[in-house]
Amino acid sequence: MTVNWIGLWTMIRREIQRLMRVPIQAVVAPLISALLFIFIFGFVVGGRISSIGGYRYLEFVLPGVVMMNIVNASFLQSTSQVYFQRFQKSIEEILVSPLSYVEMIMGTISIVILRSVFTAIGIMFIGMAFGAVHMHSVPEFLFWVIFVSMIFGFLGIIVALWAKTFEQLNVLVVFFITPLSMVGGVFNTVAMLPPWLRWLAFGNPFFYFINGLRHAMLGFSEAPALIGVALTLGLAALFGVIVWRLYAIGWGLRE
Amino acid sequence: MTPALEISHLRKVYKSGTVAVEDVSLTIHPGDFFGFLGPNGAGKSTTIHCVTGITNPTSGTIRIFGVDAVGDYRNARRLVGLSPQEFNVDPFANARNIVDWMGGYFGMRAAERRKRIDMLIQRFDLVQHANKPFRELSGGLKRRVILARAMVNDPKLLILDEPTAGVDVELRMDLWRYLQELNRDGTTILLTSHYLEEVERLCRNIAIVNKGRIVRNGPKEEFFTEPGGLERAYLAATGRSAEHAVVAAR
Repeated sequence: MTVNWIGLWTMIRREIQRLMRVPIQAVVAPLISALLFIFIFGFVVGGRISSIGGYRYLEFVLPGVVMMNIVNASFLQSTSQVYFQRFQKSIEEILVSPLSYVEMIMGTISIVILRSVFTAIGIMFIGMAFGAVHMHSVPEFLFWVIFVSMIFGFLGIIVALWAKTFEQLNVLVVFFITPLSMVGGVFNTVAMLPPWLRWLAFGNPFFYFINGLRHAMLGFSEAPALIGVALTLGLAALFGVIVWRLYAIGWGLRE
Repeated sequence: MTPALEISHLRKVYKSGTVAVEDVSLTIHPGDFFGFLGPNGAGKSTTIHCVTGITNPTSGTIRIFGVDAVGDYRNARRLVGLSPQEFNVDPFANARNIVDWMGGYFGMRAAERRKRIDMLIQRFDLVQHANKPFRELSGGLKRRVILARAMVNDPKLLILDEPTAGVDVELRMDLWRYLQELNRDGTTILLTSHYLEEVERLCRNIAIVNKGRIVRNGPKEEFFTEPGGLERAYLAATGRSAEHAVVAAR
């Protein structure tokens, strides 16, 4: 069976048109939030902290800020896209079309990755203004941006299919994503933690995402790269299969 | 000849336990104009949703021009156009985009889409309104957009779920003419409606569904040989009171 490329592209351009209607929410908000993080934690607080691994505190913080925004942008993109389409019933336009379930998922995840890449580039531009951007490895950087976006894009779809109310969309963000990303090493190294707390960092998947992106940008790492890569690929594959299965059985879509 | 639509022992039970369709079997032949009647909640829309992929059937089989609508859903959906009862669109999008996106999902190339959309926008008198957000359109104009969307892929089987509900007489008459034209050109049409005169005028075969089961099914003429015509047959088949049937017979 051939891929319905025109259908896929239609899903993407339709979502781009929708995002153009909400530019403040889609583009401006993450950039302002990143700017504040960079300014306060990197510039104001960081001025009082000595270098980490030979890098200024601001340079150390920037990859974590980029990763936090990638995670939020990915999750927000897929939850809002799928949930609102369910809420308006406009998802039926896709359900009655000759798009396969894999194509429906690919269409949603493609826009998730695009939005994450643009968010990351926007924050990098802000980082440049503060002279804090380094790039150790572009392929590594793209790996982390793309695969972490996929993980949270898939998670967002699962939540959007499960949610019956707007409030339920935020459950994962409030109780899981925000706390784990905050303690995942955005602002500190593992070495800065008391020894009894370090196991918490190594057991937190966000630590590996942030650490991976930090290595891509600075060449600085606190954990073996293979663990992070394997974990990320494993989670992306696991959530991808779950989403595909949910689409195939129609959970939350065609019940 | 392969039927345009063949539904066999369709059953749909929602998660809540509601049995929306108990046992529906029907065959629509290519080129037919088929009326699907029944009171609210009888199972008409659920049957249509099962045919078009909006909902999963619990059991039974659905074949569209011989293609399994569940097992080979992609090929089956290429053959169908749906105008649903509810406005299932992004209300902030404009009419042209709504029709264009549907053409895109069906894999139509940009030039082909543009030509088809221009024709449909003209045909449904939407030229003045093509770039307005859907939510700003009147009920009748919204219905026209939904109809144009259903026809963008030039479907072999066109399913219209109460297409004239809430529209003015002018559009209704115009739509009737257009549907007859499409049908003459070979499009098979499945129509649900609460307007019996609409079904009488357009359809060649009629099925009446009640409580999730087909209770009458046959050529239109069969219904007219009885006293009271379609109205009485409908009331009798759907178990309405004898008084209603007597009034209809007069």
